[in-house]
Amino acid sequence: MSMNENMNMNMNALEKKAARKASVTYTTVSLVVVLVFLAITLFDGNTYTAVARIGGMIWVFVLSMIVSMPIVIPSVKKKIVG
Amino acid sequence: MSETMRSGNSAQVSLPVEGMTCAACVAKVEKALKSISGVQEVQVNLLSGKAAVTFSAGQAGVPQMVKVIQEIGYEVPEEEILLTVRGMTCAACVAKVEKAVKGLPGVTSVVVNLPAGSAKVKFYPGAIDKTRIKKEIKALGYEASEKLTGQEALDREKDARQKELRYQTRNMWIAWPLASLVMIGMFRDYWILPYFVPKFLGNHYVLWALTTPIAFIPGWQFFKHSWNGLKRGATDMNLLYATGIGAAYIIATINTFWPYAGFGGPGATFFESAALLTAFIVLGRFLEALTRGRTSDAIRKLMSLQAKTARVIRKGEEIEIAADEVEIGDIVVVRPGESIPVDGEVTEGYSTVVEAMITGESMPVEKRAGSQVIGATMNKTGSFKFRATRVGSETALAQIIKMVEDAQTSKAHIQKLADFVAGHFIAGVHVLALIVFFFWFFIGYAAFFTPTSQFVLSIYSLSQVGVFGFALLLSVTTLIISCPCALGLATPSAVMAGTGKGAENGILFKGADAVETSSKLNAVVFDKTGTLTIGEPSVTDVYVTAGFTRNDVLRLAAMAEKSSEHPLGEAIVRGAKDEGLAVGDTDDFEAIPGHGVRAAYQGQKVLLGNRRLMQQQKIHIGNLDEKMEQLEGEGKTAMLMAIDGKAAGLIAVADTLKENAKAAVERLYQMGVQVVMITGDNRRTAEAIARQVGIKTVLAEVLPQDKAAEVKKLQEQGLKVAMVGDGINDAPALAQAHVGIAIGSGTDVAKETGDIILIKDDIRDVVGAIEIGRATMRKIKQNLVWAFVYNVTGIPLAAGILYPFTGLLVSPELASFFMAMSSLSVTLNTLLIKRFQPSFRREQEKSGMLPAHQPQPAR
Repeated sequence: MSMNENMNMNMNALEKKAARKASVTYTTVSLVVVLVFLAITLFDGNTYTAVARIGGMIWVFVLSMIVSMPIVIPSVKKKIVG
Repeated sequence: MSETMRSGNSAQVSLPVEGMTCAACVAKVEKALKSISGVQEVQVNLLSGKAAVTFSAGQAGVPQMVKVIQEIGYEVPEEEILLTVRGMTCAACVAKVEKAVKGLPGVTSVVVNLPAGSAKVKFYPGAIDKTRIKKEIKALGYEASEKLTGQEALDREKDARQKELRYQTRNMWIAWPLASLVMIGMFRDYWILPYFVPKFLGNHYVLWALTTPIAFIPGWQFFKHSWNGLKRGATDMNLLYATGIGAAYIIATINTFWPYAGFGGPGATFFESAALLTAFIVLGRFLEALTRGRTSDAIRKLMSLQAKTARVIRKGEEIEIAADEVEIGDIVVVRPGESIPVDGEVTEGYSTVVEAMITGESMPVEKRAGSQVIGATMNKTGSFKFRATRVGSETALAQIIKMVEDAQTSKAHIQKLADFVAGHFIAGVHVLALIVFFFWFFIGYAAFFTPTSQFVLSIYSLSQVGVFGFALLLSVTTLIISCPCALGLATPSAVMAGTGKGAENGILFKGADAVETSSKLNAVVFDKTGTLTIGEPSVTDVYVTAGFTRNDVLRLAAMAEKSSEHPLGEAIVRGAKDEGLAVGDTDDFEAIPGHGVRAAYQGQKVLLGNRRLMQQQKIHIGNLDEKMEQLEGEGKTAMLMAIDGKAAGLIAVADTLKENAKAAVERLYQMGVQVVMITGDNRRTAEAIARQVGIKTVLAEVLPQDKAAEVKKLQEQGLKVAMVGDGINDAPALAQAHVGIAIGSGTDVAKETGDIILIKDDIRDVVGAIEIGRATMRKIKQNLVWAFVYNVTGIPLAAGILYPFTGLLVSPELASFFMAMSSLSVTLNTLLIKRFQPSFRREQEKSGMLPAHQPQPAR
């Protein structure tokens, strides 16, 4: 096996590890934001339908993922892959 | 154009990237490439569609970069070359060629066919070029030449644009008819529509069936690109579209199939939002594909000048070969009306050649033995032969194309800021969309919602919309309206058009910074000798005393000076010859150091020199002394002449001003630019020249090594200084100035120091460079102001700032229309630069002095 191939394999393994760690991080961050949203719907004194609550949670989750993914992925990758 | 460049352990490639549509794509590609370990620097240019990558050769490679670019949804187009390989005799030769070529960085596949004597090579242009591949095969001992001749690059680029245009046209054909039906269906109960529109068109299931193909056929590109980017942590505007279209479509679908699920009910299906949103975005893409390539017309025009074939004499026979196979030293034959294939020196024949396409010089130039010819220029009526001196990437045309391309791939300071903003914009907009959603969900809906709510320019009622649907609508509209396309396009499109306009006029900007800085110049320092003046002395005045004729005095002076090697003597000889006088040999000649010369011709004794020579020889010069002082006061060197012991006259020699120098200086003053002349000459001569040209500030007796320090002093006064001079001799001063302008470099532009290279020896091009710089920056500022105003007003409107007072909302489809128009308006505004001409060019055209030389496609 050539040096280049070895190097590529190591890189791939590191990149996979970084991707895994990043996915856990951004999903957790997004879920936290969703929980904040849910908490507000429960405690702000207004009444919300289940659909509004669930729909809102999904939309907040989608936006939170979109915001956190570009921030988390490169920083985790930088830490792990270098 | 360029292949892998290596310096130390670092290598550089310029990879073409297809599929980028906005500044966010640029940021996405840059970010992805930077994430590769070993990549040191990345610069991506949206309009040229190229990514310049500097990387550590041991750690990163071209395939890795290509993979990363492809993973985020863009394409790195491969190029294919079909070569004729002569000299292969067996399968081993095939393996040898294949192995050697495959080992080159950037080559992806090689197929060598022995019986056909051919090799098909696929490679990434920018990582390697065809010449390098051919060279590698030739190094193995085989002959390699291209089977296809020229033009591929142009054709390929055209193909790519056509492909994108075809794709977006197809999307338009799907999106617009269906979206129109959806819109009619949605509003069939209003106005007079019930009389014309069949009832079934208003059915929600029909509307859903019409909207679905719009969201998933023309709209699919946005989902695909954004997901590919998100996977690698990169975002672009496709994500804004995808979330917008996706949200509108999902809500519409839920309200169709589960109308009482609480998403606004059957009255809030918003099919027209999803459909028109997609249709408008596709319209924007279509218009971009239609207009984008036009800002880089200059490069295309230059490339189209390249001749495809050349007639060369080999082994005594005239044969026709591909132009890129011409080798240095080949004798090339050029016939009337033909394009000259490479650079060279005329060996025989006479003709006139139109060089306007390269130098901007409007008048045809005479060519005879010894003249230099430039590849891609057009021969007129005569025939001639020339020896090729520069071929391939060394030709003037190739250097100019490279320089213009480099300038277009570089970034101005102002662009770096715009790119930074645009690059972080997407994430910022999603945060804003989140805030907008939170606000309208928890506060706004309860506080401000009224059942009479409507969209702007729509009769659609929002009375049945619940809190979630309402907050979601505003959040989606905010996403859609916030596209940073206009911001991202503002600068690069203008720089591209400006540098192209410069190239058309023989003014080459080396980078976007040069364009930007030249617009801010308020002082121009001209080197005197060779810049403002011709740089070699010539006869300016001849005065004779009674009894002598002008011709005799000039002829005898030239004969006396013929044997001297003094530059002033050479000027007199040249002056006499220019006037058609026969300059024979003297019978006797003696140089008197520090005084002049003494000669004898047919019994006449000639003395030519300074006052001291005349005093020594006791020759009375009478009123010539007064005239001499006057000429010296004008900065000229005057020489007295005596024939047979009697004062015969005087001849003045001086370095003369270049044509148009005065006009250029005048124009610079009119533009509010301070003009300074710098020279090593004595103050009297310097001031005399400055008076003639109209310059008020003179820096005289400055040694060449001190010129840079003088430029620095001006900069310390707060001036933005350009130094105009010889690109080689004045290199330190050119480098010190904010903008170094190398003038009259001819066509060997690659050798020149300086930020702006003027091919012609015309001072007026300095004015032209500043005018083009100012016009370009004006355009950039207009574009940026427009983009800024669009976003600053659009986003709050979309976020519902006026809703509490008016009850009106901006609909997602209206937001997408605004977004498409903002990009289009920036592109169209930039295209107006095409009409711009530097003032002198404009005046020439008005006075009809400029023949219309349009670059013609090469043979």
